[in-house]
Amino acid sequence: MLEELSALKAAALTELTQAASPAELETIRVKTLGKKGSLTQILRGLGQMNEADRTTLGAQANAFNEEFALTLTRRMEALKQQELTQRLTREWVDVTLPGRPRSPGTLHPVTRAQNEIIHLFTAMGFPPASGPEVESDWYNFEALNIPPDHPAREMHDTFYLPPAPDGRKRLLRTHTSPVQIRVMEGKQPPLRAIAPGKVFRCDSDITHTPMFHQVEGFLVDEGVHFGQLKGLLEAFLVQFFERPLPVRFRPSFFPFTEPSAEVDMGCLFCEGQGCRICKRTGWLEVLGCGLIHPNVLAHVGIDRERYTGFAFGMGVERLAMLKYGISDMRALFDNDIRFLDRHA
Amino acid sequence: MKITLDWLRDHIDTPLDPATIGARLTMAGLELDALIRLDQGLEKVQVGVLESVEPHPNADRLTQCRVRVGEERLDIVCGAKNHRPGDKVAVARVGACLPNGMEIQLGKIRGVTSQGMLCSLKELGLATESDGVLILDPATPDGLPIAQALGKDEVVLELGVTPNRGDCLGVRGVARELAALTEQPLKPLPKTIVPITAPEALAQVVLEDTSGCPRYAGRVIRGVTIAPSPTWLKNRLEAVGLRAINNVVDITNYILLDLNHPLHAFDLDRLALPVVVRRAQEGETLRTLDGIDRTLTASMTVIADQQRILALAGIMGGEESGVTETTTDLFLEAAFFDPITTARTGRRLELVSESRHRFERGVDPQGIVSAMERATRMILDLAGGHAGPITLLDGFTWHPPEAILYRPERVNRMGGIELSPEAMNRFLTALGCRVTADPTDEHRFSVLPPSWRHDLKREEDLLEEIIRLHGYDRVPTALPRVPAAPPTPDPARRLAEKLRALLVGLGYQEAIDYAFVSPTVQRRFNATETPMALINPLSEEQSVLRTDLIAGLMESVSRNLNRGNGRLRLFEMGRVFLTQPDGSLLEQERLAGVITGPVEVSSAHASPRPMDFFDLKGDLESLLSTLTGTMPGFAAGGPAFLHPARCATITTGNGIALGWMGQLHPAEMEQLDLRKEILLFEIDLTHLPARPVSGSAESGASRFPAIQSDFTFLMPERTPAGAVIDAVLAVDPLIRRAQVTAIYTGSGVPEGHKSLTLSLLLQADDRTLTDIESKTLSEQVIVRVGEGFGATLR
Repeated sequence: MLEELSALKAAALTELTQAASPAELETIRVKTLGKKGSLTQILRGLGQMNEADRTTLGAQANAFNEEFALTLTRRMEALKQQELTQRLTREWVDVTLPGRPRSPGTLHPVTRAQNEIIHLFTAMGFPPASGPEVESDWYNFEALNIPPDHPAREMHDTFYLPPAPDGRKRLLRTHTSPVQIRVMEGKQPPLRAIAPGKVFRCDSDITHTPMFHQVEGFLVDEGVHFGQLKGLLEAFLVQFFERPLPVRFRPSFFPFTEPSAEVDMGCLFCEGQGCRICKRTGWLEVLGCGLIHPNVLAHVGIDRERYTGFAFGMGVERLAMLKYGISDMRALFDNDIRFLDRHA
Repeated sequence: MKITLDWLRDHIDTPLDPATIGARLTMAGLELDALIRLDQGLEKVQVGVLESVEPHPNADRLTQCRVRVGEERLDIVCGAKNHRPGDKVAVARVGACLPNGMEIQLGKIRGVTSQGMLCSLKELGLATESDGVLILDPATPDGLPIAQALGKDEVVLELGVTPNRGDCLGVRGVARELAALTEQPLKPLPKTIVPITAPEALAQVVLEDTSGCPRYAGRVIRGVTIAPSPTWLKNRLEAVGLRAINNVVDITNYILLDLNHPLHAFDLDRLALPVVVRRAQEGETLRTLDGIDRTLTASMTVIADQQRILALAGIMGGEESGVTETTTDLFLEAAFFDPITTARTGRRLELVSESRHRFERGVDPQGIVSAMERATRMILDLAGGHAGPITLLDGFTWHPPEAILYRPERVNRMGGIELSPEAMNRFLTALGCRVTADPTDEHRFSVLPPSWRHDLKREEDLLEEIIRLHGYDRVPTALPRVPAAPPTPDPARRLAEKLRALLVGLGYQEAIDYAFVSPTVQRRFNATETPMALINPLSEEQSVLRTDLIAGLMESVSRNLNRGNGRLRLFEMGRVFLTQPDGSLLEQERLAGVITGPVEVSSAHASPRPMDFFDLKGDLESLLSTLTGTMPGFAAGGPAFLHPARCATITTGNGIALGWMGQLHPAEMEQLDLRKEILLFEIDLTHLPARPVSGSAESGASRFPAIQSDFTFLMPERTPAGAVIDAVLAVDPLIRRAQVTAIYTGSGVPEGHKSLTLSLLLQADDRTLTDIESKTLSEQVIVRVGEGFGATLR
């Protein structure tokens, strides 16, 4: 009996080690330990044996049982490991193959620049405001101290529309400054806003499109002064272009500000050395600004003695082109998706 | 405006070089647009003396010359024939790059070394044609740069003059500005008073239109000889871009540029005196010097005689009364024409001239007589003749400009500067203002601006002058104290921001198109609205205001497709302009989009299908439900340019009309020469409701298990799935979701029918649904769909 058991044991363990799959292992397990399994039968037969044989054989059988279970577990683990290794090898992919193409959407560069401008001024306390694109002569010109026949009207090539039903002149606004008037009228300081929008001029060549975007900003309060205007715009330009920049203010003329200034910043492309983009001056003109003209304050019923204000305006296309390195202004309104992809 | 450095130095002794002058003027508001050296290309061309001229040993047509340039001697081979030993010539040295682009190199010509070139006027860029080399005046010092020898060594400053600074439209005005900036004296103008040698020659003038012409001066000069101007005068005018004509005309132009006083010279023989300054009569005509016949209106001031109109006051003279080569007697005019009248007339006639440009900005009314005297002096000197007395007529007693009261303390406060009143007063005085203390207030001064500064009217104007001369750059910077305030709600802007973010997330690219389009294109996409036309469009293609966005966007689509960009997802957000029944214009915020081409870029992983109606619809459902919190509604129908069986109107969940979507009509595709299917939409953003702020504490997600239950129905093929879903959802609120998961037609399904699989989600918030409950709900659904749509369960 003992010989039988040890032969059985040797055979079962050999089978286990030779099994090639978990399924085979299971077959061996059933054959050995199942209801009709060889070991099961031996164990079942122990009851009919005498005390001495039962003890000897029982011990042997138990040892067999334990070794079988242990070997089975090890073999199972080894096979699983082997199977995993095979699977991993089988599941090779060419990681250098490009991924499934995704085509992300894009914001127009003008929108991105405009958002950035609005964001910076909003953070500095200027709430956004807007106004109509079709304006009256009053808001676009007269309230801004540009009376009819003023030579400054030549600076604005205006698109006109048929008069409104009430007989007032209608035109496409030539700048976003009318929003200044709309925000101020009927209110009292402190007043401030930042107003982005489309503007129109009948002018079209390499550097002009008949429609473009401006952002107008202003502040009216007690004690507002020119030095603050300088500080604000310098801060803005440095933030917008994300680098320290020389900024200079140069006297100029706008009918709605006095004193008026043009703002130049050091050329981004030549570091002020002079290049084609800055016309060899080392400076790029980017903004117009000034203290709000007392006639403008008077037109909206603000006490020009008590309050002062400043206003500034900038061309979004110009800033976007400088920031994103776009050289052809007309490409901005072509909407060629290759351009939109490149400047996303 | 262009001025030359030399000319500027007639008025001010400045030690500064032209670039520094330009920089100083720029920082004071007269922007230097360009600095032009007229000697460009002539830097290495000098005056030389021909010491010997020998025949070239190897060529009959060439000569071998020895030239002395200063201390040096050069051997030069020359092909001209007009040069003799002893001649003074223009020598271009090795390294010279002439105005015509020719580079002079050391070389051998037919075996003989040539160390330069003898130049002709043409090669120097000073004439279009010339014969032989230039032979200079024997007195010209040799070694002198040729530009200097020919008076072409000028430096030209081109300045941008803003409309408020008409006083700087003359060289003297610029000099005055520079003098104030550099605290250097302006050279005094010589007091010119011409002796009257023809006292009987009276300039008879009647000044009628005193508002159009507050001040007028006339003078007769007899016995002039019209001839070309001397070289210096020609050179000066040409240097600043004016063509020299004859001595008298050139002199009037010279005074215009020098003193900023436009003058006009009439041929006295062609006038029937007296001259009358009056308003034109409606419909009178004049042929101006540019040869154009002008029809005048009663608002225009003219110079006339007893028979006809001679000139448009302050703008342009008439062709028939101008100075010609045979003129002997002159009627010379100097005046102060009203800026507004001049501007209005010029604008109405679309006539631009140097004279109008200055009068509409305002010339110095106190400088008329001295300008007249200076011009007379020059005419007598250069054209001869005898001057008669000046007739000076004042339309009204000249009001000196009003004194401005200013407070240095306020100037400091507004400028953010700290200057002493003395410093401020010094700046103002330097500009020609008369500053006096205000006897009633020790903190105030009274300032009388000079007669040429029409732009100085108030305290703020003086503030600008003061900080301008002090230097904008020296104003210390600070940051404004912006008072905190709650933001004004701006739902339209927030909506636009959210829409953009969502659309970009869905893979759309933002386009911006012009707000004006071609009427033909606009009509194609919107036949119902009449677009408003611009009065002065740039072109027919951009002549009406858009009444929808899709017309412009489709142009961008065509452009992209033509360039081979075949896969597009574009959107645009912007305003359209709708004419209202009363004639007013409504600006409406819209959103439009277009998709076409394959869903994705094809790759090794897949060859994607083309985008279709349901791609666009899915995008819109996702977009609008995210924004509003409810699913939008779609119903068959839409504008005529869409495929009639593949278009839908869009409403919000609660029935507000938003717009339309669909596939472009095949006929339109053919018209537009498009080959691939195009899906497009446009919605009005005005009424798009915002997602409500949640007022409930419910999370919206039930903790209890959900039961999924699928049904396949057989129903008539054209039964709208949307209606089936609505009907099922209406059965019981416990039916949380109803989705169509499969649609099938074909074998096994009777002709004219479809098989439609609905997947329902049943769930309660407060309990686990029982089998009986779910079974009852299922039966209700089967009955509802069966009765409502003639459907049977498969």
